[in-house]
Amino acid sequence: MLLFGLDLDYVLVVVLFCVGLYMLVSKSNLLKKLLGLNVMETAVFAFIVTSGMIEGGDPPILVAGTAAPYASPIPQAMVLTGIVVAVSVTAVALALIVQIHAHFGTIEVDELKELP
Amino acid sequence: MKPWSLLLVLLVALPLVVGVVNLPPHDAPDAPIHTGVGVRYLARGVEETGNKNLVTAVLLNYRGFDTFFEVVVIFTALAAVLALPRGSAADPGGAPAAAAKAANGSDIVPVSPVVSYVVRLMAPFMAMFALAMLFRGHVTPGGGFQAAAVFAAIFIALGLVLGPTRVAELVPDDWRPWLQGAAPLAFALIAAIGWRLTGAFLGFPTDDHTAQEAMGLFLEVGIALGGGVILARLFVEMET
Amino acid sequence: MSDVFDAVMLSLLIATAVSVARARDLLAAVVIFSLYSLTMTLVWQHRGAPDVAMTEAAVGAGVTTVLFLITIARTTRREKP
Repeated sequence: MLLFGLDLDYVLVVVLFCVGLYMLVSKSNLLKKLLGLNVMETAVFAFIVTSGMIEGGDPPILVAGTAAPYASPIPQAMVLTGIVVAVSVTAVALALIVQIHAHFGTIEVDELKELP
Repeated sequence: MKPWSLLLVLLVALPLVVGVVNLPPHDAPDAPIHTGVGVRYLARGVEETGNKNLVTAVLLNYRGFDTFFEVVVIFTALAAVLALPRGSAADPGGAPAAAAKAANGSDIVPVSPVVSYVVRLMAPFMAMFALAMLFRGHVTPGGGFQAAAVFAAIFIALGLVLGPTRVAELVPDDWRPWLQGAAPLAFALIAAIGWRLTGAFLGFPTDDHTAQEAMGLFLEVGIALGGGVILARLFVEMET
Repeated sequence: MSDVFDAVMLSLLIATAVSVARARDLLAAVVIFSLYSLTMTLVWQHRGAPDVAMTEAAVGAGVTTVLFLITIARTTRREKP
């Protein structure tokens, strides 16, 4: 979709990325920061997948009933591995957050900074 | 704190918007992504790899290294979670943490019988769906990673209903290390076999379709088992 | 038709992302994040990336959400202002 010469899908991705970045830098709660990181990751995946689309294209699965043009398979494969890495990162970060809460009783960065 | 973070976000957004405006429109057939190496994959992928699903072909055959070390990454994530020290009885923060937990009332939540029944009813069908994705992944959407995610989802759903310890018992202790390392191990084995057959690490014999399909299927099964068990173990580790 | 679908989905994406940022209740934020992931899944499925959509549905909306929920159960549900 084009609007004023801007590709709306790409602009949307930038907006989502910035919302995630804002959560990451401005929120004090570690869980909210991690949610922001996840929003950023998804925005980047959306950007990569979107860049591989083609006008009127079918998915890159060459079976009967589909026809050229096909969407590019490379971005999709890269994003597939990226999603799994993202969930690994999230799991490690969440385990760390649970440990931080168990040790200090808070997951607010502001309060963690005040600790002796 | 707030105005500074807004300023930072704007500073990041500006170059991003400028970059995005200068990109070619995303469905244009003449964009660089549709004239580069992807063209060759689309034209010759089926004949070279035997995979009709070219996403699987790119994952396993053309970009095998990437996938290899990506499964190493999730294995490392599990190792990192397992390596974290457990418990906190001795430290000074332990008391408020326990108090907060009691206030939350989050220790034991009884599971509704409806949820329990539905999860138990759906589990076999989910398993069938995962197996279908695993073994039909080369001609339909699906493949190792998707099957791994669905396998893990079955484990997690059952774990929420039956309790994580009972689900952990589903995987025998003797097999656990092998299953958790299944994905990197499968890749290492196939890489060695490919080296023997073609002279290239992780090489696939392009002229022998039977061998190629067998190797691809072995990798898919390894990824599905390893990935599923690792994701489920992450859940069990965090829940207990 | 496709343009209408796109417009609805894209506005839903922005709305959910902003709601995640604004929610004070962490449980609400996580549930809305799950909705954001599911919307993203629909968009990708619609645009010819069924493999990615499937993985995101199972991992992004399923496994990630459950891990977040466990963390909330073990830590705290309220974000301090």
